[in-house]
Amino acid sequence: MSERKELTCIECPRGCRLTVEVDGGRATVSGNACPKGAVWGAQEAVAPMRTLTTTVAVEGSARKRLPVRSDGTIPLARLLDAMEAIDPVVVRPPVRRGDVVASDLLGLGVDLVATDDLLGEDR
Amino acid sequence: MIRRLETDVVVLGAGPAGLAAACSAMEAGARVVVVEREERTGGILKQCIHDGFGLLRYGRQLSGPEYALRDADRFGSLGGRAMLEAFVTSASRLEAGGFELACVDRGGAFLLRSAALVLATGCRERTDRQVFVHGDRPAGVFTAGLAQYMINVQGLLPGRRAVILGSGDIGLIMARRMTLEGMEVIGAYEAKPEPSGLSRNLRQCLDDYGIPLALSSTVTAVHGGRRVEGVTTARVDGAMRPIPGTERDLSCDTLVLSVGLIPENELAKSLGVPLDPRTRGPRVDQNMHTLVDGVFACGNAVHVNDLADYVSESGERAGSSAAAYALAGPGSPSRVRRLSPLSAGPGCLYVVPQLLDLAALADVARADDVCLYFRSSSTMASGAVARLAAGDAPGAGGATLLERRYRALRPPEMERIKAPAGSLAVGPARPAEPGPGASLIVEPIEPEDR
Amino acid sequence: MLVIPRKQAVESPSSSDEEPIRSEAVSRPDASRLVGRLGASLRSRFGDSVEASVDRGSIRLEGEAPSYDDKVSAGWLAARYGFKGVVNDIRAPGEADERLEPRGAADSSLDGSYYDVAIVGGGVIGAAIARELTRWDLSILLLEKESDVAAHTSSRNDGMIHDGFAAKPGSKKAAYNVRGNRLWEPLCRELGLDFKRPGSLVLFRTAAAAALYPAMAARARRNGVDGWEFWSRARVAAEEPNVTADQRGAFFLPSAGVLSPYRATVALAENAAMNGARVALGACVLGMELDGGSITALRTNKGSVRAGVVVNAAGNWADVVAGMAGDRFFSLHQRRGTDMILDAETASAQRHILGMPRLLQLHSKTKGGGLVLTVEGNVLVGPTATESPGREDYATKPEELDRLTRHLRLNTALSMAQGITYFSGVRPCTYEEDFIVERSERVTNLVHAAGIQSPGLASAPAIAQDVAAMVVEAAGRFRRVAPRAGWRAGRAAPPEPRRLGIEARDALIAGNPAYGRVVCRCEEVSEGEIVDAIRSIVPATDLDAIKRRTRAGMGRCHGGFCTPRVMELVARETGLPAWAVTKKGPGSELCVGPTKAGPRRSRGDAAARGDASGGAS
Repeated sequence: MSERKELTCIECPRGCRLTVEVDGGRATVSGNACPKGAVWGAQEAVAPMRTLTTTVAVEGSARKRLPVRSDGTIPLARLLDAMEAIDPVVVRPPVRRGDVVASDLLGLGVDLVATDDLLGEDR
Repeated sequence: MIRRLETDVVVLGAGPAGLAAACSAMEAGARVVVVEREERTGGILKQCIHDGFGLLRYGRQLSGPEYALRDADRFGSLGGRAMLEAFVTSASRLEAGGFELACVDRGGAFLLRSAALVLATGCRERTDRQVFVHGDRPAGVFTAGLAQYMINVQGLLPGRRAVILGSGDIGLIMARRMTLEGMEVIGAYEAKPEPSGLSRNLRQCLDDYGIPLALSSTVTAVHGGRRVEGVTTARVDGAMRPIPGTERDLSCDTLVLSVGLIPENELAKSLGVPLDPRTRGPRVDQNMHTLVDGVFACGNAVHVNDLADYVSESGERAGSSAAAYALAGPGSPSRVRRLSPLSAGPGCLYVVPQLLDLAALADVARADDVCLYFRSSSTMASGAVARLAAGDAPGAGGATLLERRYRALRPPEMERIKAPAGSLAVGPARPAEPGPGASLIVEPIEPEDR
Repeated sequence: MLVIPRKQAVESPSSSDEEPIRSEAVSRPDASRLVGRLGASLRSRFGDSVEASVDRGSIRLEGEAPSYDDKVSAGWLAARYGFKGVVNDIRAPGEADERLEPRGAADSSLDGSYYDVAIVGGGVIGAAIARELTRWDLSILLLEKESDVAAHTSSRNDGMIHDGFAAKPGSKKAAYNVRGNRLWEPLCRELGLDFKRPGSLVLFRTAAAAALYPAMAARARRNGVDGWEFWSRARVAAEEPNVTADQRGAFFLPSAGVLSPYRATVALAENAAMNGARVALGACVLGMELDGGSITALRTNKGSVRAGVVVNAAGNWADVVAGMAGDRFFSLHQRRGTDMILDAETASAQRHILGMPRLLQLHSKTKGGGLVLTVEGNVLVGPTATESPGREDYATKPEELDRLTRHLRLNTALSMAQGITYFSGVRPCTYEEDFIVERSERVTNLVHAAGIQSPGLASAPAIAQDVAAMVVEAAGRFRRVAPRAGWRAGRAAPPEPRRLGIEARDALIAGNPAYGRVVCRCEEVSEGEIVDAIRSIVPATDLDAIKRRTRAGMGRCHGGFCTPRVMELVARETGLPAWAVTKKGPGSELCVGPTKAGPRRSRGDAAARGDASGGAS
């Protein structure tokens, strides 16, 4: 049985309105202005995935929080679980952008990486 | 002894616009001093931990801090150093040309002289009282940017249960952020009949979390004397006046406002730089040169951009132009501008630049592509065409200089046209006179026309 | 039941200027006759729902009124009969059950202490009295229930030091206003405060209004106002080029001044503290103990305080505080006023205070409002005057703001778009619409400074002098009172770097780098100034208190940028966690705690749905 979904693409600020036809395991995407939209739409229609951006707690610095992101997407439905799993994470300087601050988040095979530098000279 | 510094170009602000300007000015051979109020460079991007920055500039989705670090790396590799926690207390034009800024930092007061000035001072948020929310003044009313700073930089939770007024992008981003940090976001209220933020933020910040957005609705009052205890919402009519009888009281401890940004131009005003009432930023030519010779402006100080990439782009242009101006020296013929108005015609909310320097356009050595930034004045959902027409009268029927077609235009989504210098031949017959100008006209395309 | 017509209810704010039924104190045989007449008059308006009786020299009203306006009108009516006061216990719809309550947790920091004088209320009146009393070798306690002085009416007014023209001739208001006006300027010099005397222009809208000039001059003369003159239409236009063309000259009152009301209150309290007075913040009086017609102790949330003399300067709670001493001979009603502050860019828009009162208001007890200048120079629009219940109800209302737009028309260079913020204040008014500045008739050691509505700020230094004299006289009954040795009139005002020249500023920063770090960008306030406020002898530990002292957060961005920085400075200086820093004392915490604090509450309700059905975006 075929199902039709209207989605707003979030791959770029353009925000294309996608129409996705899902027929069994096959998704057909239209309305996309670029190939990324087709890939995103097909995935979104079946199982939405998101990159998580948040912060982790800092010790030993005047700064209180370090920005981090998941280095891949995780299921939308697991975002709040991931937030709880990140709560206890604490980092100390020095941390460089890209450094892994927590690995294999929720066993999803995705790491949490720093998106900012936290260097020792911070007061 | 008061410290005195002299340089070619002073850049005020080390956010994305200021750092891009500083880098491009240094790359053009100018000596540059950057003055920044905060303890680190990066401006507002430091607290914008979400991703979505840099798609145009770097071809990938970066978080705000990642984007800012790229600017800082480039600036550092050019040998640039920003004066941090430094503040300009006054600015004046020198009689002999150039500028003098009085500044303070932890080291004392100092004077800074330069041939050119780049204003990259960003913008501030409109507040509750500027959108006429009534009630007492309890704790718990925050602009979205303030709530963002508290959560992302200070690691503080501003409340438990929030209502959002406005649907600007920062407000939408904060709806998601507060939800992720464990707050309950009851809903967002937008007085306009259409959302103000990007479509993708409506999707990934509200819809993902089941947060409702009420359009043509506003918050009329906040309750509570000490901490917010609730708000009153109401539907509004076409003139955005609350409709009696539609009031609803909601219980919450936090009201977050995302009701618009205002370019920060106090320093520009003190230098006598004329502003555009539509953008509330300086009127600039295609080189981001204001109407005061030697004063350049870029980024959100000129107009509120929806993408950091465009902010950087305008910074690049402002910086290289300021360097060229400074290095040319007094009396140089390249400093002589011939300005012609570029106005927002029917269907166009505003266009930046507001002026074209015909002298620079005609100079092959300096002529570069011109970036036009504009917004449509209304939603044109089924397609639109933007047409640059010669002549600055509204509804100008002059020759079409260039034309772009769009699948859709919405006022919240800024558009940018990169036009070859040659396409903007709007000069007058006699070079000494100002040109007749041009205007940008935006017209919807009806579905059957497509 | 008869209802007072709306028009009458609204316009009767001038009732106290009407001819009184009896002007001298009521003698005992007169009382029953007069209360009978009052009763008849009330019955003609309210039917049997309102009753009047005489209670120890005052009129007491009881019953129910259809509206708060009606209740107030009944009070005004009763005030015309010349009794000691009007106690208005009529109930009206919309009145909340208000109690004088402490803000924070109780402690025993004042328990068992003794002071020669305890002043209840840390507004401008209480602070001025405290400072005046420190000239004497008395031990002084100033009790303020909020976390800072000037938290209520004294920070919610337009800062105008009136010329004294508007007050009713022969009233306490008129006398104190004119005296206070003369005292403020030298006082500000002593305390290191800004004071400006821009003068006030009462604009005439019609030629007929201009013909009233002789009557206005006569009134100014009767009140003892310092100087006045008539300005022709041309002169007004020349001196104030932005003023509306709709004017026919003006009555010019050069003595009208402006100052910062909250900075003045803080300076008075700080100077009092420097001279030995104890300023107890967060200290709320809950009751009093009496013995043989004298107050022996005040019950507070910080313990029991014995006091030789008690001063009631409790602002909107003064009738309640009088009641604690068994001396409730008056009731207060609340008249709300809303003001709007315009952007600093309006500083060049006008040089004088501008007003254009309606003719009827020449005899009114509330001025018509207008365009006032702040001492910093920007224009302040207001205030309005609306009878409204709620001793501390500061909610603004759209209709109040609409009323302010009327004043904006006086100056063609102004618009609503220049508004930064607006706020309401509440005037504590007696039904006689005059101040009460006197020793209690029933309690030997109690002095009242009550009903201090407009022009209370202007009158404050004069009221303080008289109250101090009454206190010294009362204290003289139990001890010998001599001048304090080493009393200091002056106060070294904390530095304000933005007002210094570059050399002086550089030197200041060299001594303390914190003066070089600008925290509030709109008002150019440095970390050093904020730390000074936090460490003051009357410490500012919440955001509003710091704003009142330093202007941090008062500018066009309204604290959007500096709020977190100021929170961090308070946290650093006081040891509080940043999230527990308050806006205005306990109950107004800015945050609820740190992030990353465990399970997500919203799971299950507003949680990620994770389903793929597309949104409506």
